[in-house]
Amino acid sequence: MDRRTLLRTTALAGLMAAGGCASGDDDAVTFFFQARPEEARARQRIIDEFQRRRPDIRIRTLMSGPDPLQQMLTYCAGGKCPDVLMAWELLYAGLADRGVLVDLREFLDREPDYAARLRADGYASLRDTFGWDGGQYALPEQWSGVFVYYNRKLFEQAGIRPPTRWSEAWSFEEFLAAAQALTHADGDGHARQWGFVDAWVPYFSAALFGMNNGTEWFSPPVRPTRANLGDARFAAGFQFYADLAVRHRVAPSVGDRQSVSAQDLFRSGRAAMLVGGHWLYSEFAGHDGLDFDVTVLPVGPSGGPGAVTDIGSTGLAIAAASPRREQAWEFVKFATGPEGQAIIAESGLFVPVLRSAMESPGFAAAHPTLRDLAVFTEGPEHSRPLAVTPRWGKVEALLERGCNRVLRGAATAASLGGQTSADIDRVLRAAV
Amino acid sequence: MRGSALGRRQARAGRLFVAPNLAAVLVFLLFPLGFSLYLSFHSWDLFSPPRFVGVANYRRLFADDPLFYIALRNTAVFTVFTLVPTVAVSLGVAGLLNRKMRGVGVFRTLAFLPLVASTVAMAVVFRFILASDDGPANILLGRLGLGPVPWLTDPGWAMVSLSLVTVWKSVPFATVILLAAMQGVPENLHEAARIDGAGGVRRFLSITVPLIRGALSFVFVITVINSVQAFDQAFALTGSNGGPETGTYVLGIMLFQNAFRFYEVGYASALAWVIFAILLGFTLIQQWLARRAESEL
Repeated sequence: MDRRTLLRTTALAGLMAAGGCASGDDDAVTFFFQARPEEARARQRIIDEFQRRRPDIRIRTLMSGPDPLQQMLTYCAGGKCPDVLMAWELLYAGLADRGVLVDLREFLDREPDYAARLRADGYASLRDTFGWDGGQYALPEQWSGVFVYYNRKLFEQAGIRPPTRWSEAWSFEEFLAAAQALTHADGDGHARQWGFVDAWVPYFSAALFGMNNGTEWFSPPVRPTRANLGDARFAAGFQFYADLAVRHRVAPSVGDRQSVSAQDLFRSGRAAMLVGGHWLYSEFAGHDGLDFDVTVLPVGPSGGPGAVTDIGSTGLAIAAASPRREQAWEFVKFATGPEGQAIIAESGLFVPVLRSAMESPGFAAAHPTLRDLAVFTEGPEHSRPLAVTPRWGKVEALLERGCNRVLRGAATAASLGGQTSADIDRVLRAAV
Repeated sequence: MRGSALGRRQARAGRLFVAPNLAAVLVFLLFPLGFSLYLSFHSWDLFSPPRFVGVANYRRLFADDPLFYIALRNTAVFTVFTLVPTVAVSLGVAGLLNRKMRGVGVFRTLAFLPLVASTVAMAVVFRFILASDDGPANILLGRLGLGPVPWLTDPGWAMVSLSLVTVWKSVPFATVILLAAMQGVPENLHEAARIDGAGGVRRFLSITVPLIRGALSFVFVITVINSVQAFDQAFALTGSNGGPETGTYVLGIMLFQNAFRFYEVGYASALAWVIFAILLGFTLIQQWLARRAESEL
């Protein structure tokens, strides 16, 4: 074989291989999601079960990198939008507003009985957070509100009994007293054990403390026109959170957080309380010797009755450009419906979004060591939306800039009512 | 006069050989350049059709966006913080590498190590080194009796940290250029100066530096261009928003943020062309100054 023939043969073989791959996956429904390894395994269980029941519909998974929104927009702008997309409460509006997502009423209206059953079994707060411009752009698949994990042994040693229900929340003072009692320092002033650490986004957590002092973060939460950073009650709650690290030293400072992760501190027993969501449960539950439980966020003097958290839900959406809408709907219907939710409940890796799955024995059995399961089961009813705006990217950049200044102690929370609020309000109003 | 058949064949073969590169330049360089200029006069979010807005993007940049001036100021500060140490350190390192001494091979390996490191991997390592309380940098300072420095948590110090990391990364390339130029300096000039009693430093300043003026000028321009276009190290070291606060909000971060986080591609394109104009202006001034200095020699 001469060189020219060899090159031609190789090129042809390459083309055939490429064509073979493409045709092999052409009819599969692509499913884009972001997940930690444990979560990915739970998703695979749902996919496997769906494929067992519907062998005529194949699912091909696409895992997201660290910035799912950017990845989704890149795929979709490039004409390769996945058929089924994971949707985040804070991020989906930008996609819905650009016409990337299908209004799922197209399918729900066709099956009114199923839609009514889903509605009765679900939580309005979670469902409505994916309602944009009168449409339903995703169906919730998990509740991801945040709460407080606590080390049971350390709490018992300090004689502290935290609340077990959102409706019977503890006060800021009680929370601070607990954190102080659980913080221990070495002789040179370095913390040996922290009372409280944060495994979420610090300024989101701070905003939740603001919300638990009687004011919502953005008004109205869907398509907001203003941020309530300058509201005295919100600012006081936000400042309380910042002071845990800056003034009271019961939580790691911004600098401390650079060198060690909150999860590591909690897992190793060097932190007594941790703010985070259910996505961390499997990480802590799989750790021998860590005896933990969950409790609710504290309520400020102007807040209550009862504590609130964020909805934090993720849902499943279908791409408007999908050529396989019907098959995609069948998968979304399964994963967000009673069958898929039952699998989620049993897996213990998500908090389901249907009452039937939440109250199932499988869900309780998946959390055998927890005494305070009501923190999960009552969570959706005590959830509030953070903000649903197509300009979230811009708002978040402004928030990070202003809030981090407060969290490192270089300014007070009241200062957020100035330029930061004015800049955010301008961005929000431009989107209305 | 028409060329021979062989000449024509050679010319055709030449064109064929150049064609792939030419096509690559057209597709990956000239087309994106032209398209970004076109987009800079449009509003485009990647999904809706581009909407012509005239010079509105440029007007917004100069008149309505305070962050542009913050990015411009930060970039200017960053350029100065990077340029001066890069030139000074690389001159010194090249001067040392140019000498015949024992262990120069090990020294060369160490000096060129940053050149082969990935910028992002390097920034991740520096994040660990510069961590506020338990980072090796602050532990070392503590042993010297100096207080901990908020390397990456204070906006002012974050800019210093970013510049330090960039200098560490930039020095080897500048050193290669300067070392090559130094090796072209005739030895007999040094010899003559040595006979006249000139010391090492004197010979370096009076013979080597004037004779490598061209290379120095090149290093100067390249370092400025790299500084103004800096993005990856800032992104990996201090995050996608140029934090803390606006401490490391440089033009590269602003460009990325507008294009790929806010999806205002037209606005980002306008910013890209403003950056291009700044760099072009700066390079022309520098070239003019260099030519004037050469003619004075």
